[in-house]
Amino acid sequence: MKNLERFGFPAFIIVMAILPNLLNSRWQAVAITFLIFTVVALSQDIILGKAGMFNMGQALFFGMGAYITAILNSQYGWPLLATIPVAILLPALFGILLSGPIIHLRGDYLLVVTIGFNIVFVQVVQNNLGGITGGPNGIFGLDSISLFGMQLTSQLSVYYFAFAVLLLTLGIMHNLEKSKVGRALHYLREDQLAAESIGINTRVYKIFAFGLGAGIAGLAGTVFATQYSAVSPEAFEFIQSVLFFSIVLVGGSSIPGILLGVFMMFVLPEIFREFATWRFFIFGFAMILAMILRPRGIWPASFGKIPKFLIKESNHGA
Amino acid sequence: MDIFLQQLANGLTIGSIFALVALGYTMVYGVMKLINFAHGDMVAASAFVGLTIYTQVMGQATSLFAVIAIFFLAAAVMACVGIMLERLAYRPLREAPRLSAVVSALGASLMIQNGIMLIWGPQMRIFPELIPQVYWDINGVVISLIQVIILALSVTLMIALYLFVEKTRMGAAIRASAIDQDAARLMGINVNKVIALIFIIGSSLGAVGGLFIGLYYRGITFNMGWQYGLYAFIAAILGGIGNIPGAMLGGMMLGLFQAFIAGYVSSTWADAFTFILLILILIVRPTGLLGERVAEKV
Repeated sequence: MKNLERFGFPAFIIVMAILPNLLNSRWQAVAITFLIFTVVALSQDIILGKAGMFNMGQALFFGMGAYITAILNSQYGWPLLATIPVAILLPALFGILLSGPIIHLRGDYLLVVTIGFNIVFVQVVQNNLGGITGGPNGIFGLDSISLFGMQLTSQLSVYYFAFAVLLLTLGIMHNLEKSKVGRALHYLREDQLAAESIGINTRVYKIFAFGLGAGIAGLAGTVFATQYSAVSPEAFEFIQSVLFFSIVLVGGSSIPGILLGVFMMFVLPEIFREFATWRFFIFGFAMILAMILRPRGIWPASFGKIPKFLIKESNHGA
Repeated sequence: MDIFLQQLANGLTIGSIFALVALGYTMVYGVMKLINFAHGDMVAASAFVGLTIYTQVMGQATSLFAVIAIFFLAAAVMACVGIMLERLAYRPLREAPRLSAVVSALGASLMIQNGIMLIWGPQMRIFPELIPQVYWDINGVVISLIQVIILALSVTLMIALYLFVEKTRMGAAIRASAIDQDAARLMGINVNKVIALIFIIGSSLGAVGGLFIGLYYRGITFNMGWQYGLYAFIAAILGGIGNIPGAMLGGMMLGLFQAFIAGYVSSTWADAFTFILLILILIVRPTGLLGERVAEKV
């Protein structure tokens, strides 16, 4: 584990930095998708894995970020990069406002309510509320990224944009683990009553986790809108949320596990295209099998520097 | 007034389908504390199984006997699938963290849904006209024979289930296992058998619900399980999940609510209104209408 952190992550970052130069444009697009969905899965991990809240509506915040970028760019002519602050803050604010009244709900009820938020969101953009979301077709024909007056139209620049966002997210995840907030989330996930009794304001930290996860997902949405220069409702359906939810849990809520999960869910289907119709059947089977063989995930996360023999097996998240 | 009565009839029909399907969710949740996400897809599968039994086994007969046989055969097939599902996907995870079982259920749901697609194809299929199209026009309110049959049969099944759970020894075993599995085991109840029984009952009721969906809406698609499963699940939560009369009440309530939204507002917003209702009720009563008021076990 220790060695992995010391050598594995730098190696991964170097490989990902060189990678797009070795790929043709189709595989570059796949690599960008991999980066974006990794960021969304990591943002889901903050809410589900780190804070232990059953959130099955992460595609809502992802989609909200994408739609904000698309609307501000196509309707109001903002440059893509200028939409980033709004695409982070507005989903984060929504995350805080939506989670506020429901945070006290029992796990399974929370799950259904977050599914509900996602479905309401998709219905709102499909029915073209306010006439700015483009209805079922979505919004297309966005600009390309411009930086210091240069138009960066190549796919390579989108890749490095996505890569920068991933690095930022990994940095946040790293800091979160080492910080007071990370410890608080860890305690409240393991045992909410105990966390409260040692003075952790669980409500504030839960809402904070929702806000942070929503903001990061919103940023990923901006990258997504940039990659396709378009957004449409079906990219943010509830099934996407189910996939992100499953990736975090099958991966074991650790960074290598999530990378592996995103790779399996979104990159493998591109490699084995001839099995496209079997895709979800095989995923379903793999999800059951993974959980039976490794109930805590393929690569379970560990917290802090506590020696293994001191950790009592607990029903995390129950 | 006409719209009101018409939507009341339609709402009771959809509501009784929701209630039948919701019972499967709520019984499994009551004993296992697990959301059986695959239940909705089992309901969809039942409609397709019914279609195949009709064309392959019954030779497209629509006599009363054939219709009854289709219902029993489809329910039996789905009960077997339900038992297999529990054995293969849920039993190995009974001692595992709770979310592992949720992921397993989602995996099972994807498998069944796409299994239907691989067997019967991705296009919409038309369910046979098993029950003659008879309509009655009562002062402008149109009621079909199918609606009457769906409502009557659902209510009968629900009363039978209620009596079974409340008045028989096996029902007492189910209730005991729902309260405390370990204590039930100490009293000599075979909890594994109770869980198998619950999957048999839940899956057969869901199978009847699936056939009703086929009869009422005619068009069936491989992915309709998500939609109906979600509605039924919401119905179960509205009534208080784990609570059998609650599921019946929630189902009827949701059916009526959706019918009135479709009648007076617009069906394009039905989902949004449904979830707003759910969220409002959960904010006021966090464990549903008839749910027990207990804190989460710590």
